[in-house]
Amino acid sequence: MFLNIKNLTKKYNNIEAVNKVSFSAQEKEIICILGPSGCGKTTILQSIGGFIKIDGGEIILDGKNIENLEPEDREIATVFQSYGLFPHKTVIENIIYGLKFRRYKKKDAIEEGKRMLEVLNLKGYENKRVTQLSGGEQQRVALGRALIVKPKLLLLDEPFSNLDTKLRVSMRGELLRIREVFNITMLFVTHDQEDAFSIADRIIVMNKGQIEQIDTARNIYLNPKTEFVLNFIGSANVDNGYFVRPEAIKISEDGEEARVVGKTFKGSFIEYIIEYKNNRYKMIRLNNEEEYEINDKIYIEMEMREI
Amino acid sequence: MGIRNKTFNELNSINTVVKRKKALDMMNSLLKIFTALLVIVFVLYPFLSVFGKALYSDGRINFSEFLFLKGEFYLVKNSILSATITALLSTIFALALGLMTFFVSERQKKAIMFILLLTMVSPPFIGSLTYIELFGRNGFITRDILKLSINPYGLWGIVSVQTLGFTSLNAVLLIGYLDSFDKTMIEAAKSLKASTTSILLDVVIPLMKPAIAVCFLLSFIRSMADFSSPMIIGGAFNTLATEAYLSIIAKGNSPRASAISVILFIPSIIVFIIYGHYLKEQQSASKNLRQTQAKMKKSGLYHLVKILALFFILWLIIQYLAIFTSAFTDKYKGEVYFTLDNIRDSLPHIRDSFVRSIIYSIIAGVFSSLIGLVLSYYSYIMKGKYMKFIDFISNMPYIVPGTFFGLGYIFAFNKSPLKLTGTALIVILNLIFRQLPMSIRTIQSSMTQIERATLNSAKDLGAHNLYILKDMVFPMTYSGLFLSFTNAFISSMTTIGSIIFLVYPSRKLATFVLFDLVSSGKYKIASVLSCIIIIVCLSVSLLSYRIFNRSSKNVSQY
Repeated sequence: MFLNIKNLTKKYNNIEAVNKVSFSAQEKEIICILGPSGCGKTTILQSIGGFIKIDGGEIILDGKNIENLEPEDREIATVFQSYGLFPHKTVIENIIYGLKFRRYKKKDAIEEGKRMLEVLNLKGYENKRVTQLSGGEQQRVALGRALIVKPKLLLLDEPFSNLDTKLRVSMRGELLRIREVFNITMLFVTHDQEDAFSIADRIIVMNKGQIEQIDTARNIYLNPKTEFVLNFIGSANVDNGYFVRPEAIKISEDGEEARVVGKTFKGSFIEYIIEYKNNRYKMIRLNNEEEYEINDKIYIEMEMREI
Repeated sequence: MGIRNKTFNELNSINTVVKRKKALDMMNSLLKIFTALLVIVFVLYPFLSVFGKALYSDGRINFSEFLFLKGEFYLVKNSILSATITALLSTIFALALGLMTFFVSERQKKAIMFILLLTMVSPPFIGSLTYIELFGRNGFITRDILKLSINPYGLWGIVSVQTLGFTSLNAVLLIGYLDSFDKTMIEAAKSLKASTTSILLDVVIPLMKPAIAVCFLLSFIRSMADFSSPMIIGGAFNTLATEAYLSIIAKGNSPRASAISVILFIPSIIVFIIYGHYLKEQQSASKNLRQTQAKMKKSGLYHLVKILALFFILWLIIQYLAIFTSAFTDKYKGEVYFTLDNIRDSLPHIRDSFVRSIIYSIIAGVFSSLIGLVLSYYSYIMKGKYMKFIDFISNMPYIVPGTFFGLGYIFAFNKSPLKLTGTALIVILNLIFRQLPMSIRTIQSSMTQIERATLNSAKDLGAHNLYILKDMVFPMTYSGLFLSFTNAFISSMTTIGSIIFLVYPSRKLATFVLFDLVSSGKYKIASVLSCIIIIVCLSVSLLSYRIFNRSSKNVSQY
């Protein structure tokens, strides 16, 4: 494996923020750590980046143990949530700052920087101040600045949290494109499952400093291993260790009787609350399907699955 | 062969990288140790020396130097009495000025701030000078207008001069506090039909309590430590501060001066602890980014506020008018006429001392800012454990009275290997380290604007700690450095307490010449000198205010 995390542990005041976390990633893989705030996901990222000292475990990148190295000696680059751009420097100065410590001549560095700007569709922005850029542009500068030093691993901390919904979607595409261009392994942290589902090859769901499940998006959604994962990813009707997703409740003439007790129009779909055998369930239907009104009788089929 | 060569080259380049890193690490440690040593030698050592002198004699610890308290307890009483009245009055006037900003236009507020700034860049005993000229035995107001001959010296002279001097800083503090005050509370109170009097008494003033307490305490210790006003206009009214000064200058009794200084230090340290407590409260009190103007009806308590504020401003204006007119006029047979003679007469007094003052102050400004920057970098940004301790020590000059710090330098540096007494260096060092606490504060408050992610990014890209200091922290604290330089420059230009024992008679500074002139009754020439000091300091602070505003715009936008 290209990146190997073994039993990573970090304590704050004797409370384990991250407790014996192990996972690995292949080259070029995009891994996403997903979880609610305070679950320890950012701590993992900071430990790998070297910004905090860990209390136990190993971090192995490309066959080398790096857990005791300073951040500047790790072949890892980070894009921070707030980007951490240098406000007193221009776009090109930001981009090429890392080359200064890699024995580049100033002229070569600027050449390299210009090429990077072209890849990121920021041509012509060289001498702008980073403070004059929009959120999406700032994000791309932060990416370029990290990528130019050719890191083996790129860490992204909540990369899209400061962007509006439209920009978010386009930046997701951008990230996938960057992976193809630079052949880089990425590890990113988010609390937004849409981010995770859109670009991650595999998702790590975390809760209270521990890993709940590592799998593809599909498997995590369809086969959640714990109740936490089930509830955190999408919504579900749960009953005594069994669950059914709202879209898995089917309308069928041969089904059993249920009654509509609530209805909310949600845009592309409609959410119903139905009563079935004295239990209430959430059910969703696309808005071009047959519509029901409150108190309508419907016939449903569903398969409750074990968690 | 080809392969071997390549491996060798690679090894070689790894070697140079490692060497380079080692060199940087070495420089980093040296810089850190050097800064720490500076603080230990030039702050902690002199500080302890005073205690040593006061408590240690004949080879053992004894308290005999403190026995004077029995016979001369009136010194303590006088100090506390004058400090209490001064602190009370200067806080009340400052409060009136602060509250007044709710009722005046933006332009009037700027005018008030300018007048306050004027007093803050004036030499400390300028109040005494005008006081004598206006209210003295031959005073313009007391004799020429009111035809009185009263004795202006004593407690009330000291109190009025100090009040005039200290109110400005208090008012600036309170106005700054009120600027960040959540004005919607006033709107809310108004909408509930509260009158101006109730808004001020029920909402505004209670919320200002911590800031008011800070003002009172600061004025109290400043008054306790001030020896120049009581020296000039105290007459027979002696205080601890004047006694400490006289013990050295007139009697050469340094253990006694040390003992008095130690006593003066006690209230300072108590006040400092309370100050730190209140300051925390003040910072967490309320932060309002939305700048709204809350206007209240001009009624009720407003009138009292207005009377107090106007009285004070008028008093200040009269003071500065008096200095300027006295610099440019003279009297002949009761007739006042315009003249440049005073300026001519002042030239021999100014020539050397003035240039020297400016040079010393520039050096002090530059170095206290630079040392403050490096120290803050290691303690505040890198969070070094030992550097936090050094940071704490470097605050001491802020707590101790000026004369205490000056005495410390005499005792610490009068013997080899660090024999510095009589040199210019000891004066400059004293100025640098006396200003260091303020510099550190200013610089650290501008460091709060630097995002951790920015520094982590630099580190992530391979920047060594030294590069982070040079490429990130230094350019991003420009505004703080400017401000720190200006403050240190002005304080150094106007200070006297901490260096009065250190300056060699043939190498006087402008404030010393001024002090001598006032003490020996040459008020006309003293006025000229005061004007020049004010003009220099005012220009520097206005200039730096412009630069500061420009550079802070660039950085804080992000």
